Amino acid sequence: MATATPTDSMHRVWSMSSLKSSLPSAVTCRLPSPSSRRPVLISSPSPRLPSFSGLSPVNPLISTGLPGWQSFEDGFKIIDGGGRVYAMRHGRRVPKLNRPPDQRKALLRGLTTQLLKHGRIKTTRARASAMRKFVDKMITLAKDGSLHKRRQALGFIYEKQIVHALFAEVPDRYGERNGGYTRIIRTLPRRGDNAPMAYIELV
Amino acid sequence: MSLSPRDPLVLARVVGDVVDPFMRLISLRVNYGQRQVTNGLDLRTSQVLNKPTVEIGGDDLRNFYTLVMVDPDVPSPSNPHLREYLHWLVTDIPATTGTAFGNELVHYENPCPTSGIHRVALVLFWQLGRQTVYAPEWRQRFNTREFAENYNLGLPVAAVFFNCQRENGCGGRRT
Repeated sequence: MATATPTDSMHRVWSMSSLKSSLPSAVTCRLPSPSSRRPVLISSPSPRLPSFSGLSPVNPLISTGLPGWQSFEDGFKIIDGGGRVYAMRHGRRVPKLNRPPDQRKALLRGLTTQLLKHGRIKTTRARASAMRKFVDKMITLAKDGSLHKRRQALGFIYEKQIVHALFAEVPDRYGERNGGYTRIIRTLPRRGDNAPMAYIELV
Repeated sequence: MSLSPRDPLVLARVVGDVVDPFMRLISLRVNYGQRQVTNGLDLRTSQVLNKPTVEIGGDDLRNFYTLVMVDPDVPSPSNPHLREYLHWLVTDIPATTGTAFGNELVHYENPCPTSGIHRVALVLFWQLGRQTVYAPEWRQRFNTREFAENYNLGLPVAAVFFNCQRENGCGGRRT
């Protein structure tokens, strides 16, 4: 629950009854200090209104009925959205393309710029399948057509002529199509290093 | 045999953009110099400067065929508003021979794409009789389906395509 601190000026007549009713019983409540980002200490004698900072301290003085309070660590339940870290690559779907992140982003930006410019390019299969998401994203921005989206597209595509041309022609060309704006056709491997190649084209 | 969904002509959408789905009835061999054109072969403009040698199959010399060479990705695959540029049109080709024996109505113009990778398709039709097909007035905005409709050519009997791009690089970045 986001911090419930009301601003002083607006809520002078705010009654305590709503707060008291939402708290567990047998708690003398006090409004928290304005800097509610400070982590709430377990050792404070009077229980305070807990505020969200990713850790929700369970105070042993409040009888919430949770068993198993053994040590200091048991008081902190980590709320993080369910991300797990594995030692192996299980479940990781972002293609790294053998490059550090900044170079990877630049490669994908360059490839989408070229695809939008030429309509069909020939590249390796890994790059072609990594690019699809970004090309679809650019075409979706163009379908929306507002100024904000145009500026977002200008921040991604390297050549601004292409962005303006894209925003001009996407509504008629892809108006009815929902997603899947590219097609990948696998082709013969490259002679120099036997890399599997593919054509990627705008549908 | 009718085209399977994994046929290169279907995958490259030559069957959707240029012609309708058809059945291969006649063998068609196209050679640029020493190189035989297979579906999806990558060629540069320097390799397609001169007209290829084309040999067709079949068995009866009294059957005549028309060969059409079109590029459906003009001026650029991302914006093909001049769709289908006619590069070559040869009619009255007797079966089992080649284009040397036919009547070249539209002389060969080498594909010279400036932007992107263009597909260039060679499509073979069966003619009902001799001298029943005439050349169009312009090369661009050619429509193979309409052309076949006008001269009663029906569905194609063979087709092959290759990919053609400009000689060196993609043209660099312009502001």
